[in-house]
Amino acid sequence: MPLLVRKYCHIANREVRVNGEAFPVAESDGDGKFLTSLYRSLKIDYPKFFKMDSLSKLGFLASELILRDENPRFAPREDLAVICFNRSASLATDALHQAAIQREDSCYASPSVFVYTLPSIVTGEIAIRNKFFGETSFYVCEERSAQQIFRTVRHAFHDKATRAVLAAWVECGGETLEALMALVDTECQAGIPLEEFLRGANIA
Amino acid sequence: MITIAGDSIISSLGFTAGENYRAVASGQSGIRPCSAFKGLPEPLVASTIDRERLADSFATLCPRSDGYTMLEQAAILSVAGAAAQAQVDLSGPDVLFILSSTKGNVHLLDENEKGFSPEHLYLWHTARLIAEYFGNPNEPLAVSNACISGACAQIAALRELASGAYSHAVVVGVEMLSKFIILGFQSLKALSPEPCRPFDAARAGLNLGEAAAAIIYSRVAAEAASGVALLRGAIRNDANHISGPSRTGEGSYLALNALLREAAPDDVAFVNAHGTATAYSDSMEAIAITRAGLGAAAVNSLKGYFGHTLGAAGVLESVISARALASETALATHGFKDGEKEHPLNVTDKNIHTQKARCVKMLSGFGGCNAALLFKNIKKE
Amino acid sequence: MEELILELKQEIIAVLNLEEVAPTDIADDAPLFGEGLGLDSIDALELIVLMEKNYGIKLKDPAQGREIFKSIRVMAEYIYANRTK
Repeated sequence: MPLLVRKYCHIANREVRVNGEAFPVAESDGDGKFLTSLYRSLKIDYPKFFKMDSLSKLGFLASELILRDENPRFAPREDLAVICFNRSASLATDALHQAAIQREDSCYASPSVFVYTLPSIVTGEIAIRNKFFGETSFYVCEERSAQQIFRTVRHAFHDKATRAVLAAWVECGGETLEALMALVDTECQAGIPLEEFLRGANIA
Repeated sequence: MITIAGDSIISSLGFTAGENYRAVASGQSGIRPCSAFKGLPEPLVASTIDRERLADSFATLCPRSDGYTMLEQAAILSVAGAAAQAQVDLSGPDVLFILSSTKGNVHLLDENEKGFSPEHLYLWHTARLIAEYFGNPNEPLAVSNACISGACAQIAALRELASGAYSHAVVVGVEMLSKFIILGFQSLKALSPEPCRPFDAARAGLNLGEAAAAIIYSRVAAEAASGVALLRGAIRNDANHISGPSRTGEGSYLALNALLREAAPDDVAFVNAHGTATAYSDSMEAIAITRAGLGAAAVNSLKGYFGHTLGAAGVLESVISARALASETALATHGFKDGEKEHPLNVTDKNIHTQKARCVKMLSGFGGCNAALLFKNIKKE
Repeated sequence: MEELILELKQEIIAVLNLEEVAPTDIADDAPLFGEGLGLDSIDALELIVLMEKNYGIKLKDPAQGREIFKSIRVMAEYIYANRTK
């Protein structure tokens, strides 16, 4: 069974591309709030977005860029898995929680920050938005390893219910903000072979 | 068939799988008032690993022990225990390591923690340290999928072995407590001030726990000494809320349903639920179990013995459940007395003899994720 | 009291990341949970932290929140009567 990428998007260096084409982002919220600007450029109404940590915002926006034109949209489905990978898990949000608890005389952990100290929450956010009841998984690896991502995505189809995988590298830590997400669909006729895609030949 | 060739647990109840299993089977709990963490606003009741015994055991295994954090030491020690039992050479190219942890060495973020490089904060680094300790040449996998991580790691092992790329997979789940984790759970008001009571009508929250647990899975039939095989596993999402359990148990029900396509509910010796003893999570599982047609099956939770060991829970509880299945026993649910009327279940209040061949392990976690595993006692057929 | 109500609205908007809500959008007597602001169980826990951090009020039982967070006015009245800072 060939694994073909039906649609993909790439968010990096404050630039967004969907299937290789530039997606314009209007600077609406000034510097440093690139993700909010992208949210506004997508013209969606989803107030929960503002409650997410940066990693979830990033993964959520990537999924919106890929899924916004799907028809039907928001139809509940169990046959789509969401599998994400990154290098630093939820380290950026971990640091926020640690800062809140560091001083014993002023120690107020925020429950809404703590929940996001699990990197896999991003897969849940995408599942909730789209009513995806299928598998959701999160793996941590040193770098964007084409071999590991390919193997894990291919293996996800061992689950007989799974017919499509929304697979992504979503890294959000320090200076880096990058999402590379692909919709791998066994029922599509034409697309980029996943292996080739992950090796970077076709990533703009 | 993918079978358990070796297993091991490091916990408050012991430093081998056998020691832990015997403690559980005789009704001992490792949950105690805990004063090891200074400056907590509320007292803590938890299940913790004896630090001195851990350091001594690791020093015996590895005289040059200062390069490893406590968490890494516990993980390595548990893998070494499983390897000794399985008599498998873990340095071979046909062996894959898979790490399961939610927070790894996150305690190193604390300003007062010194002596380890920042690399130890990364789970891939921890996974690599463990694999390298055993001389394994392959890049290990590191799963961080909230509280179902331990099941996901086993599902990943099953898939890797089924695809034929490896002959053995070493699954190791590990979690150590720190103020990072404890204060987070306190802010969620999820912790019980007393030893937890899974599925009991009077349950008042969970206890946190520390553990390292390892399973060596093999597709070599001659190594099936445990007599237990992992048949299948499934992961499903509630698509409902990032922290609140689904009121219909949707993801959990769908995961169970995926397993039961090829196993009759009548053949299930017991369901080892997640059973954290929080109000909504236990009810959610009861709904899912009933919807999946397992309402008459014996249900237990191991949280009353070990607390909730987070990323280690899936591995630890699979080790105990597999041993129970091989011993033809559905273990008692420590802390359970009276079930709730609204969502009745057949929760075990004592160890029960069973002749049935299969058991189910369930897990659920934040992000709406749920997992279920199906094990089989291969000596039964 | 009116001052405290406004202060509370601003704090809630900030701490719960209600990006697209203005203080005037929150009626003093409207229910905080359920319909309206779309707040959930984590938001309720966050309000418990807010009461402790900003007003020195520690709830013994989180279930008390259900009564206290009925509306902004009820919450403000509770804070007025019980604040230690």
